[in-house]
Amino acid sequence: MAAGITAMEKNMKRRQRKRNLVAYSFIAPNFIGFAVFTLGPIVLALLMSFAEWDGSNAMKFVGLDNFVQIFSDDRFTSALKNTIVYSIFTVPITLIMALGLAILLNQKIKGTNFFRTVAFFPYVASLVAVAAVWNMLFTPAKGGIVNQLLMNVFHAQPLKWAASSSTVMLTIIMFSVWKNMGYYMVIYLAGLQGISEDLYEAASLDGANAWQKFRHITVPQLKPTTFFVTIMLTINCFKVYDIVYMLAGGSNGVVNKSAIVLVYYIYEEAFRNWKLGRASASALVLFAIVLAVTLIQFKGEKNYAND
Amino acid sequence: MKKRILSSLLAMTMVVASITGCGAAAEQAPAADTTAQTETKTEEAAPADNTQAAAETTETASDEPVTLKWALWDVSSTVYYQPLIDAYTAAHPNVTIEMVDLGSTDYSTVLGTQLSGAGSDFDVVTIKDVPGYVSLVNKGVLEPLNDRIAADGVDLSLYNGVTDQVTIDGSLYELPFRSDIWVLFYNKDIFDKAGVDYPTNDMTWEEYDKLARSVTDTTPGAEVYGSHYHTWRSTIQLDGILDGKHTIVDGNYDFTKPYYEMVLAQQKDGVCMDYATLKTQGLHYSAAFAQGNVATMNMGSWFIATLIQKIKDGEYTDCTNWGIVKYPHADGVEAGSTLSTITALSIPTSAPNKDAAWDFVKFVSGAEGAEVMASTGNIPAMTNKTIVDIIASMDGFPTDDASKEALITSHTYLEMPANDKSSEIETVLNEQHDLIMNEEVSVDDAIAAMNEGVQAVLAQ
Repeated sequence: MAAGITAMEKNMKRRQRKRNLVAYSFIAPNFIGFAVFTLGPIVLALLMSFAEWDGSNAMKFVGLDNFVQIFSDDRFTSALKNTIVYSIFTVPITLIMALGLAILLNQKIKGTNFFRTVAFFPYVASLVAVAAVWNMLFTPAKGGIVNQLLMNVFHAQPLKWAASSSTVMLTIIMFSVWKNMGYYMVIYLAGLQGISEDLYEAASLDGANAWQKFRHITVPQLKPTTFFVTIMLTINCFKVYDIVYMLAGGSNGVVNKSAIVLVYYIYEEAFRNWKLGRASASALVLFAIVLAVTLIQFKGEKNYAND
Repeated sequence: MKKRILSSLLAMTMVVASITGCGAAAEQAPAADTTAQTETKTEEAAPADNTQAAAETTETASDEPVTLKWALWDVSSTVYYQPLIDAYTAAHPNVTIEMVDLGSTDYSTVLGTQLSGAGSDFDVVTIKDVPGYVSLVNKGVLEPLNDRIAADGVDLSLYNGVTDQVTIDGSLYELPFRSDIWVLFYNKDIFDKAGVDYPTNDMTWEEYDKLARSVTDTTPGAEVYGSHYHTWRSTIQLDGILDGKHTIVDGNYDFTKPYYEMVLAQQKDGVCMDYATLKTQGLHYSAAFAQGNVATMNMGSWFIATLIQKIKDGEYTDCTNWGIVKYPHADGVEAGSTLSTITALSIPTSAPNKDAAWDFVKFVSGAEGAEVMASTGNIPAMTNKTIVDIIASMDGFPTDDASKEALITSHTYLEMPANDKSSEIETVLNEQHDLIMNEEVSVDDAIAAMNEGVQAVLAQ
């Protein structure tokens, strides 16, 4: 009797194992790619952050030295500060601009498709090209178009924009909002089209005005979209690099303390100074920040959904 | 951490892109060319002429076909790679040289990444600058050349002492083939129009400043700039090291003050273009000079070949009447003291054909290579009177005696001497240079910050 049960169990186990194997073999192609190109480097980065390594000589474990060093490096602390400032301003401004554009372009007006394309265009255009145009418009020279506008229309002092340490972050944030709002607008448009017309109709019957409809129908209905957009925006803001390099790198490709961001710092430490340990340590710090922000947002979303 | 991977992926893509993207077209054409040449030659030689084959054997040690992979940048715009290869393969028909263009902007970074990996198969690599050299030496990926130099009796004294400046702990890992000096380029038409005498080969900085101001015109729309400083810190900071008493890795930069003050005053008075504009517009110095409203510009002699070529092609029409003079100097310093940069060849430790590579390096850096370099308008590392004559007799080189004389130097100082910390030092110096030139901090504060920053780097 007992032997029979164990035989049956064995049989079932074997079948289960076979089923598992089939399932694993389906997952394998994706997982192998992930393991080789993502998991491996992650583990390596984790190891390297506690070591001193230049990429070819022997690795030397140094404990927490890298973290101590980067936090006493004022290029790192500036990078941390700049990244946070950039995210704090870029996320809400892009969000509001994208939502505004989406609502505007969700109206039944002539040429909607044309205007949607116009708003989406900066997102698809090559960064290098639009950054060059942007730098031409916002040139620090008095003869620049934007500076002319400032002087002649607003009677203000011309600014040095990307060239000056006091306005460089402003220029980068403006550029980033302009370049990326089109993408988030499209996501919001999809969200808006998912809201049932009935809700608006019912509200109209009850005598709600446009603001009340927006406040009590559009905003709550768009909550999942807003949540998604916020997370994506935050993550993208923390990994900003290309925009900063293009606008503030200048002709010698060196980004100053006033504009340096974390990813640029990581690149500089890793591939210019060949301090892979310090670069990995800063990458871990960046990872921790993004993780923390995302967790907080998830938590907020849960509370949000409950009310 | 996702970002870490993203950034390394980005770097990898950049590497791949620069090899496949920029390199492929330029690199395949000449490579295919030389292969064809080699093949026909070996076919002819094999059955017919035994004595010739024997002679070649003694010369190149082996007739086995060898392909050398050579890492370099800007294949399409550099005039001397192909002539060097042609000259070498003419004497060594069994060798094929394949050029791999890694792009100029991030050349040293890309090369460092490639050589760190296991899969690199470069036989010869070009070393762009001293910081790049030091970082590769520190990584231990370059072959020391001392034994080969001693075995083949290469005379290092022909390199005017430059090889001593890049010897690290008694070992030399590169052999320079090109050496550029800084000179003052000027546009003769502007001086003629203003009725001012041309710059001379013996000018102090005060005289230079006065001269630049005398040809400046600040009329809006018809500006003439007496001087032009490219955004590199070397155009200003390094003017101070020409007295031989200071170096750029000292940790004390008080000596840069008079030069910054001179240039800032010029910038304020419209004598030179505004730094902030130059930086954001990314205006290249060649484009600035080609506009025809820049009277003088301090720049390296690498610009000579470009200038000659572009004028010949009809691309530059407003600066066709140009000349060069020796770099201005401080009071009491001998004229002809100037900055220099070297471009050199090295053999990576991972090179598959080290002996063949060494033979090529020796050729390019040696007397034969030097003549090829000079015939293309570039200054080889190994210079003598003949070389200067070859360059000066080039079609398109200014015909006045002063321009020829300008190529003869009395003292040369490397832009960046070999130092372990050079890339960190550069970061500190670049940052403060930018702040000074943007007029965001005073010169004194910036110099104090440089001193403090670099001393901290040196103390690490």
